Amino acid sequence: MAKATQIDPRGPRFGAAIINILSIIILFVALDPASEGIAFDLLLVAVVSFAIGTIWGNTKHPFGWLFRTLVRPRLAPPAELEDSRPPQFAQGVGLFVSLLGVVLHIASVPYGVAIAAGMLIAASTLQAYFGYCLGCQMYLGLKRLGVIRSA
Amino acid sequence: MSVELRIAVLLGLLVLVAIVGVIWKLRTGTAKKSGSGERVDLLELKAVKNGKPVTSLTTNVTFLQFSTDFCTFCGPTAKMLSALEVADPNVTHLEVNVTERLDLVKKYNIMQTPTTLVLDRKGNIQSRIGGTPKAHTLISEIGNFDI
Repeated sequence: MAKATQIDPRGPRFGAAIINILSIIILFVALDPASEGIAFDLLLVAVVSFAIGTIWGNTKHPFGWLFRTLVRPRLAPPAELEDSRPPQFAQGVGLFVSLLGVVLHIASVPYGVAIAAGMLIAASTLQAYFGYCLGCQMYLGLKRLGVIRSA
Repeated sequence: MSVELRIAVLLGLLVLVAIVGVIWKLRTGTAKKSGSGERVDLLELKAVKNGKPVTSLTTNVTFLQFSTDFCTFCGPTAKMLSALEVADPNVTHLEVNVTERLDLVKKYNIMQTPTTLVLDRKGNIQSRIGGTPKAHTLISEIGNFDI
């Protein structure tokens, strides 16, 4: 995991808004069995996006670059900076959920892609529009369950 | 699935998530009275303040904040509580990083960070605040003590 830095908290929220729109499209397309293949391809885009965010962090992510070049110059300076590690951890949770959709689809589980897309919609909506990072929140819960051993 | 049904599923999900978001916004940072009468064990807690281990509480109110390394609002919360400590001589702010302290996480049933326990001078837990404390929550918590 990358070293902790201080980042503009609106960066990850901007990224979540893009993922939010993408996952809404994925769910809409995935609910029709005829177009589930297209939804699967779009889900792979989400997998790649989350993989980049998990490995390199939000600031080195293309969405982070978009935020810095297009959005941030138009905003007031941030009131607070936040630690880069929680949103990066949340990217890992997103990666897990989107990969779950891939596995369900390959295992021919009905609406497998739609289930993953629904979960991504829920998390990205809370992050983008409410500032509530569900993935970050899951850290302690996962640790208590013994899923994560050490930071 | 028809287009209408798909839109209905999508809207239903979004409304549900929005309700969760609004409830979270309203509830986060508010205090919940603790009826357990549990007392914080300072020896076990191993809190450090200004480089020294904390062995006794010296003010009427102590805000004991639990944080982790993976916590969006822990930093701002710590800033807010230490500003309160500077402004009010009856208030102490303690912060304990529980990333590697699963014993404390289980003992105090911490489900999210920051979680802030409001302690009296004896270390009894008066109430707990989940999430970034709201300003009026802190003011009324301090007001609950006879200072």
